[in-house]
Amino acid sequence: MIEMDGIRKIYRTQHVETHALTDFTVTIDDGEFVSVMGPSGSGKTTLLNIAGLLDTFEHGRYLLDGEDVSRLSDRQMSTFRNQKIGFIFQSYNLIPDLNVFDNVDVPLRYRGMGGSDRRAAINKALEVVGLSARTKHYPAQLSGGQQQRVAVARALVGSPSLILADEPTGNLDSAMANDVMDLLETINGMDTTVVMVTHEHELAARAQRRLHLLDGRLIDLEADDRPTPLVARPDGSSSARV
Amino acid sequence: MFAYMIRTALLSLRRNPVLSALLVAAIALGVAVSTAFLTVHYVYSGNPIPSKSNRLFYVQMDSWNPDRPYARSRPELPPEQMTYRDMQGIMASDIPTYQSGMFVASLTIHPPEAEQRPFRERVRMCFADFFPMFEVPFLYGGGWDRGADRGPEPVVVIDAATNDRLFGGGDSVGKILRIEDRQFTVAGVLAPWRPSPRFYDTHTGASQVPEGIYMPFEFVRIFEVETAGNLLIWTDYDEVDGFEAFLASEAVWIQMWVQLDTNEQRQAYIGFLDAYVMEQKKLGRFGRPLNNRLLDVMGWLKDQEVVPEEATGMLVISLLFLLVCAVNLIGILLGKFLSRAPEVGVRRALGASRTTVFLQHIVECELVGVIGGILGLGLSALVLRLINQLLTNNGQFGLDLPMVAAGIGLSLVAGLVAGLYPAWRICRLAPAIHLKLQ
Repeated sequence: MIEMDGIRKIYRTQHVETHALTDFTVTIDDGEFVSVMGPSGSGKTTLLNIAGLLDTFEHGRYLLDGEDVSRLSDRQMSTFRNQKIGFIFQSYNLIPDLNVFDNVDVPLRYRGMGGSDRRAAINKALEVVGLSARTKHYPAQLSGGQQQRVAVARALVGSPSLILADEPTGNLDSAMANDVMDLLETINGMDTTVVMVTHEHELAARAQRRLHLLDGRLIDLEADDRPTPLVARPDGSSSARV
Repeated sequence: MFAYMIRTALLSLRRNPVLSALLVAAIALGVAVSTAFLTVHYVYSGNPIPSKSNRLFYVQMDSWNPDRPYARSRPELPPEQMTYRDMQGIMASDIPTYQSGMFVASLTIHPPEAEQRPFRERVRMCFADFFPMFEVPFLYGGGWDRGADRGPEPVVVIDAATNDRLFGGGDSVGKILRIEDRQFTVAGVLAPWRPSPRFYDTHTGASQVPEGIYMPFEFVRIFEVETAGNLLIWTDYDEVDGFEAFLASEAVWIQMWVQLDTNEQRQAYIGFLDAYVMEQKKLGRFGRPLNNRLLDVMGWLKDQEVVPEEATGMLVISLLFLLVCAVNLIGILLGKFLSRAPEVGVRRALGASRTTVFLQHIVECELVGVIGGILGLGLSALVLRLINQLLTNNGQFGLDLPMVAAGIGLSLVAGLVAGLYPAWRICRLAPAIHLKLQ
């Protein structure tokens, strides 16, 4: 699903260069559930943004679903995001003026789907997250957990092959967090690849594989809770493969 | 997608009603002023009779002083009007499809109701061909026939407003109207008719409405009435003794129009005019070089510089005002759009391309433009009413369909001018930066 090879991302200001990702290489297979951990500033969100085609990179190669995305135009990347990727954010990022139904509708609008197809897909997604009765509610009328479930419905409504979740439980209490994790596992069970950034070890442990980032480098890899040694490269970069 | 963009734009406008009202008001003000002055310019510069403007010709002949031209600044020009005797002379031609000399007189009208006081009214003295030549529309009856010109027979045509005033409206054909000391029979009542500009007599004001009463030209002899318009003479006016002498003088005061439908007719008529002048030269008149002119309607209006410089100047200023309104909105829209960067980031993540985001914001600006434009057109109608009152021209300036379309067009352009840069800026934002901030 995701093949990153030697990705380098540098944020530049007038005086400072910040290396967010340094010669980063990773492969994530179709249908995997991978968690990404690391301290603040380690490059987790940058990784997710690049993986979701929301940010560019200076160097390296990125194959998403077998396609080299570094050469895609903005329109092609938008289509890719719309059709293959679902996003879930820590602060839900629902549009406050739109009710639940219309929030979930947004990605389908950009896909140009017909009205009846959209309605069917939205109702199905809301059913999966258990919010079929709240279609007319606005985000402000919902709890944090419910808002995140709407965001999950919005991410999965277009049947993407990849879900990118950036600390999806960061603003939720443990019960709600578990609900959201259950949902992510359900989605993963539908052959959807899930990549989740989290700070919480307990939640990360529910993924099939854990990636650890530090200073923009991959420092550890665990698959099925079995520790795997770090593969060091002669140039000082690091990589990990299943 | 377009409907979705409009819906999203409406939501955005509703989010901050005060700011949205400010945006709309700025466009409305600009459109109101610019559409009002565009209408004034349009009325002055339009084609008043598009169906035959290239077949109607204003006739000029140079009967002026052999020693100096009619206009020193433009010595090539013949006089703008013609003498009575020359009008009589060329009216003998049977080449034109229609032809009419004409002038405006001021005559006393005696209303049929005794309690109404007599009043002075502008009366157009013309020939029977005036009505078919200028396609004057009738509510009741029609013009008089050519035989009535010769008599002349005491017939008049009145416009709808005069009919309302004198007879309380309705079919007044056959009713009697006393003008000066004579009784006239109403031959026809005009339907509303307002050629803009009033091309057939630019000397008494192209923005004026047509006269209320029309009468056979030859009553000029009976009433011995002089023109209420312009009269110029190059010989000594004090030596003109009596009305018949005035009619035979070199005074120019008559407008002459002919309808020439074919090129053959035009060539023949030019030949006729040349022959007439050569004949007059033999009689000791027309001491200046042969200089006859036939100008069609638009040529004549251009020659007369009917569009006042003030109207053009005000139009330019009003368009600049609209531009200033639109430019002022750029900063406001930029702030409004950038405050929505996190939402734009979400939409980008969900599949909106840069182009889609750009178009979405342009649609919002155009929505502001159209709403402002509609309000602006309403304001523009009020401004025009004010201009009409100031110029006392009886509602000459008003919004018609082309002007409404122009107003909406201006509002769309203003919306585009205001929105292009903010929309471009917001669509260029990197979505990743704002997703964490929401």
